[in-house]
Amino acid sequence: MRFWDGENEQMNREDLEQVQLERLQSTLNRAYKNVPFYKKHFDALGLDPGDLGSVQDITRLPFTAREDLGNNYPYGLFAMPLRDIVRISSSAGTTPKPVVVGYTMRDLKVRGTVTARFLAAGGVVDTDIVQICLDPGLSNWGRALKEGAENIGASVMPMSHMSTLKQLLGMQDYKTSVLLTTPSYAMHMVDVMGTIDVDTSALALKAIMVVGEALEEETRERLESTFSIDVTTGYGLSDVMGPGIAFECMEKNGLHISEDHFLLEIVGSDSQAPSASGEVGEVVLTTLTAKAFPLIRFRTGDLGFKMAGPCPCGRTLARMSGITGHTGEVLTIRGVKVHPAQIHRIINKNAEGFSPRFLIHLYKESYLDMTEIWLEVNDTLFSDEVKVLEATLKNLREQILEMLGLHVTIRLVEAETIDQYAKASGGVVDERGGL
Amino acid sequence: MTLKSSQLIWGMKLMLRVKNLHAYYGRIKALDNVSLHVQPGEIVSLIGANGAGKTTILNTISGLIRSVQGDIKFEDTKINGLAPERIVAAGISQVPEGRQIFGPLTVLENLELGAYLRFKEKEKEAIASDLDWVFQLFPRLKERSGQVAGTLSGGEQQMLAIGRALMAKPKLLLLDEPSMGLAPLVVKDIMNTVSELRKSGVTILMVEQNARASLTISDRGYVLETGRVVLQGPSDELMNDSDVKRAYLGKDYKTFWEGRERV
Repeated sequence: MRFWDGENEQMNREDLEQVQLERLQSTLNRAYKNVPFYKKHFDALGLDPGDLGSVQDITRLPFTAREDLGNNYPYGLFAMPLRDIVRISSSAGTTPKPVVVGYTMRDLKVRGTVTARFLAAGGVVDTDIVQICLDPGLSNWGRALKEGAENIGASVMPMSHMSTLKQLLGMQDYKTSVLLTTPSYAMHMVDVMGTIDVDTSALALKAIMVVGEALEEETRERLESTFSIDVTTGYGLSDVMGPGIAFECMEKNGLHISEDHFLLEIVGSDSQAPSASGEVGEVVLTTLTAKAFPLIRFRTGDLGFKMAGPCPCGRTLARMSGITGHTGEVLTIRGVKVHPAQIHRIINKNAEGFSPRFLIHLYKESYLDMTEIWLEVNDTLFSDEVKVLEATLKNLREQILEMLGLHVTIRLVEAETIDQYAKASGGVVDERGGL
Repeated sequence: MTLKSSQLIWGMKLMLRVKNLHAYYGRIKALDNVSLHVQPGEIVSLIGANGAGKTTILNTISGLIRSVQGDIKFEDTKINGLAPERIVAAGISQVPEGRQIFGPLTVLENLELGAYLRFKEKEKEAIASDLDWVFQLFPRLKERSGQVAGTLSGGEQQMLAIGRALMAKPKLLLLDEPSMGLAPLVVKDIMNTVSELRKSGVTILMVEQNARASLTISDRGYVLETGRVVLQGPSDELMNDSDVKRAYLGKDYKTFWEGRERV
């Protein structure tokens, strides 16, 4: 099955633009009427939703920032009464407050549809056995992928807390045909396979579909040649939107945007003007069908570029590149976005008025992202007593895990070590590199 | 079984394309940036409370209201600003709200008037065969073809109004409140007729207060609130939408958003 939703994936461009305009206008009408935040923003600029005459006019609307999500915690941006919400999902976000997203039944259906498009484009059919291996930080996506695969009629093994070894044994014994995971976890599985007796040629695997992190071509080639399979990827926002916003087809040349549900702009990061095709800029997202949680010109913080020209696969949906980086200081750790300031806040809260200096050290261990916090030793935060010191560090680790869902180790370092990197406190030493 | 839009071919061009329609009654804004489309072979419903702008949309498409801002394209030709009779000639007929049949005339005379433009074009034979077609669709009208239209029942008058519009051989039929003032069983009859019509190749854009009846037979729908489109989608999705249910399928609220506050 190449298409899940063929008629909408192959709509002619003129018709698609009409559909986009209609949906954008009604989205704006609903948001203006029901979300005070949007009304306030539009009014401040003297804009009325009735003025928007084309999809391109969207550039006249103000941006929505990630901070706006936190500032309107918990339900401030909901456009539907809570009784119509059937799913509430919360994630750490990148601001002090978590991000809370609501879905109506219809919203979940749309998510299931675009996720199924992604999966079908990557080769999933109803006879497949689909295994989902994701970090708990991506559990929203785990559910979206599960629902998408169930839509197609595949047999799904949802996310679980099994160890990599168990996952591998499951993959072998249950004859998994499609693995859904992150690029780094897929590589990690290959690594672990080397230590046990798994015969790759005996596996039933035919595709690995990855989300959460950019898929490097090198990683794709390694995985494809190791298993003799296809590897494709999808794009989403782990804190606000499922992984079906854009997805690769078997051409593996760019991600088709589900343009009938999402409007994606690429905006020049400094000038705020729209980028020309092929020019890297920030991905800005507007929902076209979301009822419960409409987003208007949401700055995703992800960088990418639009790709011109039709795709041989037959989809008329425009394509974008994979994510080439992030704006600002946002980090993606195991597929989850983390802002260094969040770690900063947790450490400060525990230091009673004194700001200890620290660095975030990212590296890889068997392809998996590892986070280490290098904390400067000082008297305010630490006691001479080993017991007290250990308790403090344990407490910090637990708080970071609790607030951000991030496993970290804390290393105490001398002031000189911090100086050596000559970075501001909370700076990042990223040694993850490629493969 | 009705033909659902999913069975239509998407490569097909849209039949009707309405963009950014604004219309005023005096100083009152009746339509505020309305965009919608109709695919060939579809039944599309416009639903919404009284005064939401549903009828105004039909009247702007058929040219009865001409002082509008926006863009209306029928089969890729711009039709806004055209005189109503030119729009009929292009293939759009309207069945007005409240039927508006010619009461003192007979059923047959009413139907013949529907083909008014075509008599001038000397299409006599084609007209005769269309008359047969209309009588086939509405056997009741054939039985009563000599009867004075004003003496027909409400349902029969509605059938006559539809039949009269069909005599212009439209590609797109605009139906304004076909169920108005009719008993539930008769409404069902009329709706069945509309489904039948589509099977015979007529595309339908329908305005209805009876949201349930019209969503049941249509492929897609648009929800209007004070001159704006606030929601659109496949009819089955709209029927399951909590706002639509709240506003139109149960309590009959005056506005789309009413009843939301009572959590």
